[in-house]
Amino acid sequence: MSKYKLGERVTVRDLPSLFHTRTQGFTRGRTGVVVALRPEWVIPEDEAWGRYEGRKEPFYIVRFLQRDLWPDYGGAPIDTLETEFSERWLEPARS
Amino acid sequence: MVRGMTPSDRVEADLPLTISQEKAEAILHVVHDVGGQPDGPLDKSLHNPGLWEKRTHCTSECLAWRGHWVSEERRRRENDLGQALYLGTPYYARWLLAATKMLLDKGLITMDELIMKIDEVRKREEEVLS
Repeated sequence: MSKYKLGERVTVRDLPSLFHTRTQGFTRGRTGVVVALRPEWVIPEDEAWGRYEGRKEPFYIVRFLQRDLWPDYGGAPIDTLETEFSERWLEPARS
Repeated sequence: MVRGMTPSDRVEADLPLTISQEKAEAILHVVHDVGGQPDGPLDKSLHNPGLWEKRTHCTSECLAWRGHWVSEERRRRENDLGQALYLGTPYYARWLLAATKMLLDKGLITMDELIMKIDEVRKREEEVLS
């Protein structure tokens, strides 16, 4: 059962980054909107280290405004970027 | 290139007793997470994969099919190669090196078996080329 709903605003947790991550640095601490729900799958933190039957959780596609990701973004203000997170990387939007 | 470096070029990195927080953060940066970093113009031309690249992809998929790894583990192992190998080798060479090291780490092949085979192939190539 997904914790966040379609259209909900979420903020990406800014956790330490070491050795390997699926959560791009430029999304850390940024707020976007859930635009698609993905089925439960093994979290990358388990899969990457050989725990193929590891902890499963829902994944989300989150859409960000490019200008929210890049302070000096020079493109159109409506430009967006979508990327994927497992549930533990998200929290309810701070703003 | 690396072999040609004089000790004075790398003395600082040889045996640091302490390093600055700034440097620690820079060298601990996850190597594939390059989004937003300054870089040159992007080569957008279409690349036709060569035979060795297709074979590498195929071998990696077969290793996954046999349950020896998954693609996320391959990506982590590519990062584990370190910055010099990750950024200095072609895309599929990273796959190949990661697969090789996985086979060694999991005891599926032995180091001497690997180098003997590389030597055998090298000699075979030399024969063909001579």
